[in-house]
Amino acid sequence: MDTTQLLKGVLDLAVLAVVEDDDGYGYDVLRRLRAGGLTEVGDASVYGTLRRLYAAGALTSYVVPSDEGPHRKYYGITPMGRAQLERQTKDWASFSETVTALLAHHPQGAAS
Amino acid sequence: MNDSLNTDTRPEVEAFVAEVRARLADLSEEEREELLGGLEADLSDQLADGTALGDPSSYAEELRGAAGLPVRARSSRLRRPSLPTAASLEEGLDRSREGFLALVQERAWTRQAWELLEAVRPAWWVLRAWVAVTLLDQVAGTWEYVTLVPTLAVPLLGPGLLLVAVVLSVLIGLGRLWPGSGPRRPLLARLVLVALNVVAVLAPLSFAVMTPVQGDPEWAGYSAGYRDGARQPGLRLDSDEVRNLFVYNANGRLVQGAQIFRGSGEPLTVRPQDAHTGRGDERLVGCGWLNGTTELFNVFPLAQRPQLRGSCLDEPGRRDPGGPLVDAEPPFAQVPPVTSPVPVEPVEPVAPVEPVAPTR
Repeated sequence: MDTTQLLKGVLDLAVLAVVEDDDGYGYDVLRRLRAGGLTEVGDASVYGTLRRLYAAGALTSYVVPSDEGPHRKYYGITPMGRAQLERQTKDWASFSETVTALLAHHPQGAAS
Repeated sequence: MNDSLNTDTRPEVEAFVAEVRARLADLSEEEREELLGGLEADLSDQLADGTALGDPSSYAEELRGAAGLPVRARSSRLRRPSLPTAASLEEGLDRSREGFLALVQERAWTRQAWELLEAVRPAWWVLRAWVAVTLLDQVAGTWEYVTLVPTLAVPLLGPGLLLVAVVLSVLIGLGRLWPGSGPRRPLLARLVLVALNVVAVLAPLSFAVMTPVQGDPEWAGYSAGYRDGARQPGLRLDSDEVRNLFVYNANGRLVQGAQIFRGSGEPLTVRPQDAHTGRGDERLVGCGWLNGTTELFNVFPLAQRPQLRGSCLDEPGRRDPGGPLVDAEPPFAQVPPVTSPVPVEPVEPVAPVEPVAPTR
């Protein structure tokens, strides 16, 4: 199954989750997502999502100059972002439960 | 945000970001910086980890798509031109049709003009049939002027073909015959009709139309001028001017005062201005034999006199007094005798011809 379509729906949630405890810059966030198992996530998708969440107020950002390379733009979660993370985590839990339950009644479909 | 602080950016990353930036040109400055801020650092790290950068165009699209900004489909199509698809062609046809109709409806006079044109549409059907047959007439066979009824060399073939073509064209116009007319038809049919109509509009530009050209006095002037240019005046041998003639009789003797005419009775006249030889002090002009006071230049050999410029007809001036008239120097004193191919009657002995003294 092509997971990129599924990923689109939960990318906001996943990004918020990996910066909840620790601020991170773009590539940092990408690595955390991939390390967490979302290996197919595209870098531009992640960077774009970070910018969008920042514009929506869910993230804050600050620039950290670097001696050995271009400066890095770090993202941290805001209270608004935490609320969104909390709400979307619940939504995801109930949604995935529903879909799992639905699939349980159709074992053939779940097997594929 | 000041990227110039950092000196260690990889050039390929800089180039890549510049490419992406160019594809975000339609966004506001703020939105663009929002998207690109820190991107160089991220991409540099990514490259250091061994991940290739990929295509900046699709990268920009993915970036703005994920950031919730409008995806600029048109610009990416412009940047990467590809063969038009059937759907895009069809869409293009529909769009131009709608665009044109909207333009026509905008003003009252264009609306009325368009209504008039639609009313006389059958005339166009007849016209394009005529253009088609005339084009065939022009392409096939020898060159000829365009005529109202195409001739096509064979009697009745032209009018017959024209009739068939008009019927076909009208049927196409009415939509009874492929490719038909108007929208909501297969793409191929629409393209074929557009192509045929374009040919019908452009083809007449290649037709040779008779009346305006022949009736144009200016053109007739050009035509006469062309003939003058092509025609070489005077008496010439292989396009070289003949300046004098020397006539020898059957015995090979030089004849004085030979009057030369062509078969049609025209005198074989050397133009006075051509009848000169030599240059400078050696220049000699040819002078005609006299009939009363009229100088005849078809009587040979022409006598000569020294004259620096002009012809023998010009009066000698003070600065160019001219010299005495003398006989022209013949190329040969005598040439081999010849006999006539016409058999001579042997019965009566031919009386010896009395020598005729040159009349001067």
